[in-house]
Amino acid sequence: MGRKSRRRGILRIDPVGIFGVFLLIMIWQALTLALPPSSLPTPSSVVARIGRDFIRAEELSFYGLADTGLLNSMIYTATNVMIAVALGSLVGTIAGFVTARFHNVRAILDPIVMTMGTIPILVLAPFFLIWFGVERMSAVLLVVLYVAVILYIFAQRAADNLDPVYEEYAYTLGASSKRIVWDILIPGTVPQVLGGIRIALAGAWGLEAIAELLGAQYGIGKIIQVLAGATDVQGIFAALIVLGLVAVISDGLAALVFAHVAAWSAAARPGGN
Amino acid sequence: MTEVRAFFRRHGVSIIVLGVMAAIWQILSLLYTTEAVPGEPMIPGWQVVFTRTLISLSDYWQGGLGVPSVAEGAPPSYTAALLAIVSNSLDTMVRLYLGLLIGGLVGTFLGLAVSWSKWSRRTVELPLQFIRTLPLLAMVPLFQLWFGIYFAGKVAFVAYGVGVIFFAGVVNAVKNVPQVYIDNARTQGANRVQLYLTIILPSIFPELRATILLSLGTAWGAVLGAEYLGAQSGLGYIIVYSEAFAYLDRMFVVALLFVFYASISYAIFNRLSLKLLQWMPRVGRVIVVG
Repeated sequence: MGRKSRRRGILRIDPVGIFGVFLLIMIWQALTLALPPSSLPTPSSVVARIGRDFIRAEELSFYGLADTGLLNSMIYTATNVMIAVALGSLVGTIAGFVTARFHNVRAILDPIVMTMGTIPILVLAPFFLIWFGVERMSAVLLVVLYVAVILYIFAQRAADNLDPVYEEYAYTLGASSKRIVWDILIPGTVPQVLGGIRIALAGAWGLEAIAELLGAQYGIGKIIQVLAGATDVQGIFAALIVLGLVAVISDGLAALVFAHVAAWSAAARPGGN
Repeated sequence: MTEVRAFFRRHGVSIIVLGVMAAIWQILSLLYTTEAVPGEPMIPGWQVVFTRTLISLSDYWQGGLGVPSVAEGAPPSYTAALLAIVSNSLDTMVRLYLGLLIGGLVGTFLGLAVSWSKWSRRTVELPLQFIRTLPLLAMVPLFQLWFGIYFAGKVAFVAYGVGVIFFAGVVNAVKNVPQVYIDNARTQGANRVQLYLTIILPSIFPELRATILLSLGTAWGAVLGAEYLGAQSGLGYIIVYSEAFAYLDRMFVVALLFVFYASISYAIFNRLSLKLLQWMPRVGRVIVVG
């Protein structure tokens, strides 16, 4: 199978699924007949609203958010997500690898990470907002934390599952620890770690949005918070749909890039396991 | 005695680490004494948490049972504080488990329904994927507008969050049932209903374990989110109220309660599901995280 056809395979969209999306929009449209527009706006009005607010949203300036639109806010949110996913993945993966090979470190880190993982973001967010302020820092740190927990689990499991035969063989050939990390541990776990990054990325959009909703100056979450205060359902729908679309597109891009990076691995191929 | 010793052998390191974490918190509180507002330390030490904070929680007791509330002019007491913790925790848990139950049932039912034929499954897969990417917690304002800020709104929100996860989980699990099982039952003359009852339902349960664990976590987050924006009771309400006054110590107590309750609910579910899965060969019982 050539690279080109494989790449197309990743982004294959089921035509029946398109019909499903169409059906969903029809159901939505049907529901608007029964409900007042103040509680459920029509699909077309939401699309029109997205177009109107894309560059600059008039309504938002009434609520103290001057000179901003969906595009601007989305860029702010996306930047935060990218920084957080990059940072969190790095920290989580390194910690996962270290704990998979050093059992003393694992005994210490495992309970800490698992406790962290069970705290809902909403419990943690207020602390971060008070400790680190309502700037970019709080939201990014929150997302970094959750991404790191996911990658910690994925990297640790990937390194655990790596057949010890590879490393033992390399040792008998006289490889140094450094060589083993670079030539065996990292290549051997890339597919699983990339899979973890994809899951973390998908979750990060929601976490970033909620962090902004609770206290931020900019971002799509801030827009939702302001519009919720004004019970502007149409605006909330518009913001949510833009956020959802960006999340879907970013996931597709990640799938594409990761399949390219790990093209040699059977596990990264669509349909592979 | 041997049981106690066995418990410590198994969980000894975890207990020590948790103890060390508590000690580090205490040291940080001594080193970093900045106050959020006068009298409210940024990092409340344990000596504050177990005395002043605990007693201040009696603010959230709404009276009754012969213990007057602070709002009625009674002095704060440990009894009222304890009652406040119990009653608010119960409020939150009722919303949580009711939402979990409704969402789980509806999600499972819908998931099974669309799995009836290949075409209906293919129809829902793409829209479902999009709905799943919509950040749940950012939808709290919508549910408030639709279902009100009272009990129904919160339960509906938790049920929605849990329902979407169950729906997706069931659809996926049914898809992964080995075709051999189905073919085998078919050749022996099973009809659709028999197939569902004897093959599909038992064989999707192991895979649903991960879904249920995930939905438990989501439910804890969702119930908090629902209480965040407009509630008169519950743990989320205490957090919001405390944040407004920068009562970091109270927020800390509630956070501890949350971790405690969530851990217990995970542990109970794990025990229960392992018991239910005893008939399975070991391979199928692997815990899936993520």
